[in-house]
Amino acid sequence: MLYREAGQFKTSYSADQAMLTIPLDRWFVFALAAFAIVGVPLLASEYLMVSILLPVLILSIAALGLNILTGYCGQLSLGTGAFMAAGAYLAYKIATNITWLPIWVVIPLAGLCAAAIGIAFGLPSLRIKGFYLAVATLAAQFFLLWLFVKVPWFVNDSISGVPPAPPRTVFGFQVTGAAAGDEAKYLFVLAFVIVLAWIARNLARSRIGRSWMAIRDMDIAAELVGIRPLPTKLSAFAISSFYCGVAGALWAMCYINSVEPTAFDINRSFQVLFMVIVGGLGSVLGSFLGAAFIFLLPIFLNSAPGWFGYSVASDTITHIEFMLFGVLIIFFLIVEPHGLARLWQIAKEKLRLWPFPY
Amino acid sequence: MTRPGDILLSVKEISLRFGGVRALTDVSFDIHEGEIFAIIGPNGAGKSSMLNCINGFYHPQEGTITFKGAERRQMRPHEAAAQGISRTFQNIALFKGMTTLENVMTGRMLKMRATLAEQALYFWRGRREEIEHREKVEEVIDFLEIQSIRKTPVGRLPYGLQKRVELARALAAEPELLLLDEPMAGMNVEEKEDMCRFVLSTNHELGTTIALIEHDMGVVMDLSDRVVVLDYGKKLAEGTPDEVRGNQDVIDAYLGVSHD
Repeated sequence: MLYREAGQFKTSYSADQAMLTIPLDRWFVFALAAFAIVGVPLLASEYLMVSILLPVLILSIAALGLNILTGYCGQLSLGTGAFMAAGAYLAYKIATNITWLPIWVVIPLAGLCAAAIGIAFGLPSLRIKGFYLAVATLAAQFFLLWLFVKVPWFVNDSISGVPPAPPRTVFGFQVTGAAAGDEAKYLFVLAFVIVLAWIARNLARSRIGRSWMAIRDMDIAAELVGIRPLPTKLSAFAISSFYCGVAGALWAMCYINSVEPTAFDINRSFQVLFMVIVGGLGSVLGSFLGAAFIFLLPIFLNSAPGWFGYSVASDTITHIEFMLFGVLIIFFLIVEPHGLARLWQIAKEKLRLWPFPY
Repeated sequence: MTRPGDILLSVKEISLRFGGVRALTDVSFDIHEGEIFAIIGPNGAGKSSMLNCINGFYHPQEGTITFKGAERRQMRPHEAAAQGISRTFQNIALFKGMTTLENVMTGRMLKMRATLAEQALYFWRGRREEIEHREKVEEVIDFLEIQSIRKTPVGRLPYGLQKRVELARALAAEPELLLLDEPMAGMNVEEKEDMCRFVLSTNHELGTTIALIEHDMGVVMDLSDRVVVLDYGKKLAEGTPDEVRGNQDVIDAYLGVSHD
């Protein structure tokens, strides 16, 4: 057999603490990354790349962000959309006012602004927990969107209020705005995804990740080992909002090519929350699985009847979609709170012993 | 077996009230360096409250606590941890979603210095520290014989092992004073014997001063160098196990006394 977990001995702590301890896993991830970078732009159709991969990748970043806050640190947030909006509006503001700044600096900078806003809205987390905190972040959702719509400064007094994304280039290729090439956009977003996913894994296995999980699992005991609750929770809010901000900026600049409030409303917050729950709380892999699953399910439902020669009215499909989502959320919350990532892990454990039952 | 060292922790006239309930009244005692010190007493005597005062969960209204010569009235638990006080809880307070290894690693939290950027990139100090502290943690894991459950999430472990992991987490911080709140509660004889062995070897080999609360009198009398007895928040007696065993007040408190 090619792939085996048994007999993969490590002889040093650094080998045991590597991100992927099994060489085959490592090669697989490298191969996947290489394929995503080289293979997909060569092979994939425009539709697949721009209408499917691009949004899935961007939403994966947002899901990673929410997973850091909710999955790792245990602070429930319904403000994801608002933090994405903060990233989008501030990226627009920075890009149009400091035009010489390269776009790959602008977007992390917008992320940092979103992080600062996240810290401000994370302050109540020291006093309130669970549902009450969720409601506090809901306030962020409504307040920030209201702010961005009401204050024309954010959109440079644009009359429509929905300004188009400014065209910007990286290495001479235009990556933002409607005129940008599909491959360039895709690779630009992919670069962010790879770097941010790698950083998320590093954070999760370092001291800061452990202090987040300690706060999540038992905050009293966390204090006992010397973790200060407020800075730890705020760091989770900051980093989570940074990820969401970057996702929002990319969403506006590369995907919808304009900065509009409806893209970041409360439905977006719930969509990302569903991704995290279905994908797996406290898992980087889960953020990707969840984003892909939640985004692709409606598309699949829309096109599946056609493959079998049936035609179903689109409103029926919408109803089915709602029902399926409801059932899925309840299913995952009750049966497998750790989501698709955990199911994948269980499948691996079963396969390891297959065909023996134990 | 008494080895009188310098006074490590001195508790002076501590009084703690919750509204009208007096949990502790004028309790004073000293814990010397290198000893095993037991706090005993019937249920509700204020033993756990005493530990909570020592490591900063409760703030006594009156009295002072002097640790390593520094006097203080109020402090937060994380400050106590930074000064070298670790503890375990009566009802296990582990991080259930994390593995044994990660739980014990949290004990090293205060000794790590890597910045956020170093951790995010897992580079320079971020990487070096993880490996250095892993070595220390492995020493603790060897010491407590929990190698086989290193990568198991602690939520899946049986009760006795969870208690041991909690001790490992406390020891990983290399504390000067270790507070154990009923380390043997709910264990069978074998587990108790194991735990006694670990407590003794922690004291002997690592030189850690230990203050423990325990209801099993056999364990207390065998392990401890000195004992303080609390009842209704007041100190009844203090001394070596033999002295305490012979004290009439203690016998009355435990066995009851007729009031006719």
